[in-house]
Amino acid sequence: MRQIVKHRQCQADAWSMPGEAAAAAGVVVSLADYLAVQAGTLASPAPAGAALGVQLEPADDEAQLLPFAAQLQLVVVNFPKSAEGRGYTQGRMLRERYGYCGELRAAGAVLLDQVFLLARCGFDAFDMAPGENLTLAAAELDRFSVAYQTVVGTVVQPHRRGQVG
Amino acid sequence: MYRYDTLDHTLVAERVAQFRDQTQRFLAGQLSEDEFKPLRLRNGLYIQTHAPMLRVAVPYGLLSTRQVRMLAHLARKYDRGYGHFTTRQNIQYNWPKLEEVPDMLADLATVEMHAIQTSGNCIRNTTADHFAGIAPDEIDDPRPYCEIIRQWSTLHPEFNYLPRKFKIAVTGSPADRAASQVHDIGLHLRRGPDGQIGFEVLVGGGLGRTPIIGKVIRDFLPREHLLSYLEAVLRVYNRAGRRDNIYKARIKILVKAMGEEAFRAAVEQEWALIRDTALLLDVVEIDRMRKYFRPLPYEKLPDIDVTAGREAAFVAWYRHNTRVHKVSGYRAVMVSLKTPGIAPGDMTAEQMDGLADLADRISSGEVRSTHDQNLVLGEVRQQDLYETWQRLTALGLATANIGTLADMICCPGLDFCSLANASSISIAHQITERFSDIDYLYDLGPLEIKMSGCMNACGHHHVGHIGILGVDKHGEEWYQITIGGSASGDSSLGEVIGPSVAKLEVANTLAALLDVYVSIREEDETFLQVVRRVGVTPFRERVYAPNR
Ligand code: HEM
Ligand code: SF4
Repeated sequence: MRQIVKHRQCQADAWSMPGEAAAAAGVVVSLADYLAVQAGTLASPAPAGAALGVQLEPADDEAQLLPFAAQLQLVVVNFPKSAEGRGYTQGRMLRERYGYCGELRAAGAVLLDQVFLLARCGFDAFDMAPGENLTLAAAELDRFSVAYQTVVGTVVQPHRRGQVG
Repeated sequence: MYRYDTLDHTLVAERVAQFRDQTQRFLAGQLSEDEFKPLRLRNGLYIQTHAPMLRVAVPYGLLSTRQVRMLAHLARKYDRGYGHFTTRQNIQYNWPKLEEVPDMLADLATVEMHAIQTSGNCIRNTTADHFAGIAPDEIDDPRPYCEIIRQWSTLHPEFNYLPRKFKIAVTGSPADRAASQVHDIGLHLRRGPDGQIGFEVLVGGGLGRTPIIGKVIRDFLPREHLLSYLEAVLRVYNRAGRRDNIYKARIKILVKAMGEEAFRAAVEQEWALIRDTALLLDVVEIDRMRKYFRPLPYEKLPDIDVTAGREAAFVAWYRHNTRVHKVSGYRAVMVSLKTPGIAPGDMTAEQMDGLADLADRISSGEVRSTHDQNLVLGEVRQQDLYETWQRLTALGLATANIGTLADMICCPGLDFCSLANASSISIAHQITERFSDIDYLYDLGPLEIKMSGCMNACGHHHVGHIGILGVDKHGEEWYQITIGGSASGDSSLGEVIGPSVAKLEVANTLAALLDVYVSIREEDETFLQVVRRVGVTPFRERVYAPNR
């Protein structure tokens, strides 16, 4: 079974990804398929009782998930290359603009040295690139104790820190 | 100047630890070359012809003397005794050892410096007018805004994997001394309809293979919206910029492809959603930043005639290497890093230490770097100018050639750069040797020569009054010449005069161009003005005349 870092822990993943045999717990499909299922034009590939998740590709517009933000439990953002940067925006928008509270997972060519910034964009789960050490990846989430930007979950706005204390 | 607080110190220290860890993983074989590359690049480390090259950030070109002494220390301890100031106000070291770079960064952190985002596809060091805070024509000091941008852009979680590098320049004066029109974003401080301060915003300028002058996408942005507007531009670019071809990945290509109007509309639409969020800057925060850049407690001094009875060498230096200051009794002093025979921008550790001592004695304890690879002492009392000149002369930093042909911009070229077609530095030497008569240079007046060793345009050749570009023809070095470029308030791109010339012909070609200029100029016309008046043709005809 696939191992991922989720909520700072290494754990087994119960979901199936696009192209894999449907898992009992939950099935992730492409954005097009997800929207088609919601529109009633495609039968859900998820077995009865299983949840349906969605995987975004870099060019996908996450705004299309707005109507489903409350019911979705898993959004996977795919990074086909480690230099791919659009997923950082997709993640932030899902969290900050569309109020998505379920699992937000970065998948694909995700490297150790990227999880800290991804987490700052709202990602709370990481399906790492082959060969990456998951324990080290989880530890990377504590790489920095401070940051300059106000993003989802920031307590004191760093650019206003002169006004605090 | 800005001083780090606990947050800044912590962040830089943690970044050093992160880079040390990344370097160790690479040296231990846990990271491949390909995996390590984007990591080291994000920290200013290139692997070049001879060795790694480390680019250290000098935010908006401002250095304390303590920092200058640290730069000297790095040059001595980890390099070969010198450093190289770049066209983006930064400093590069050409000979460090990879395994020592984390120690260099740790040393830099002790003086509030770093190399974060000095290369890689992220937001680079924000540059500014080197006369910020002292220029008489300034609307407002750009540096507080630059520092706000520096902090916002440093390890920005969303914008660290952009399609391509991203450069921002800010200027507070109509006379653009920061080449802001050839930056991805150029910000010009302006007064709005009710006298409030804000910015004119240009987007999509840049040099490289496709040189383009930035387009104004907003006439006036109230300053409190600075960060939200930048974030909107960056978000549109991060989503829509091309990632399939690095030569088409800069924001200038996106603006061209979408069209200015559509691009502006996309930015405004995004901005409307975020303008009143936490990104809004309030007056308290802006004032907190402005306090760091407060004007000195200037003495009340009259302007004096410092040249009366002085030797010609001093008078020439005064005329060419000092500039007007907004406060009477003071001058800004240009420190020339264009000594004939030495690569433009190079400075030895001894010169750095000597300059730091001088800046402490007679100036504000600060030194500025310029985008044309010189330095500035911003606050010198006119009565101290003679002593300043003597001391700079002793340091080899008083060549009276600022603004002349000899004040060339030049990239490292074949001597250090693996992408080069041309040995820019030896061409610079060829030119300074040929034009060694300083009185002739003074007679030619303001003349900017800019030279790049390849299309990447690190030497800004497109915006040189005379631009020189190294090209490869069947394995030989050839040089393409452009004239009429400018990076000032009235920016323009130079026009190619004709087929490229052989290496040994570069200085001769320049001589022909200058002959034409001298023969047809009217009164005080500069070279650039003549090119704009008569066009390229008379110059082309002379250079390619069969009997020349
Ligand atoms: C020696 C190693 C260097 C390498 C490998 C290098 C590489 C490059 C490359 C590939 C580009 C083009 C990027 C693009 O257009 O998207 C570029 C642009 C640039 N480089 Fe360098 N560079 C080097 C040194 C320098 C130095 C020493 C300076 C300063 C003197 C410099 C200043 C610049 C500037 C200002 C640009 C921007 C041109 C623009 O706006 O498009 N570079 N460099
Ligand atoms: S212009 Fe070309 S040769 Fe010169 S430093 Fe840049 S990449 Fe190297």
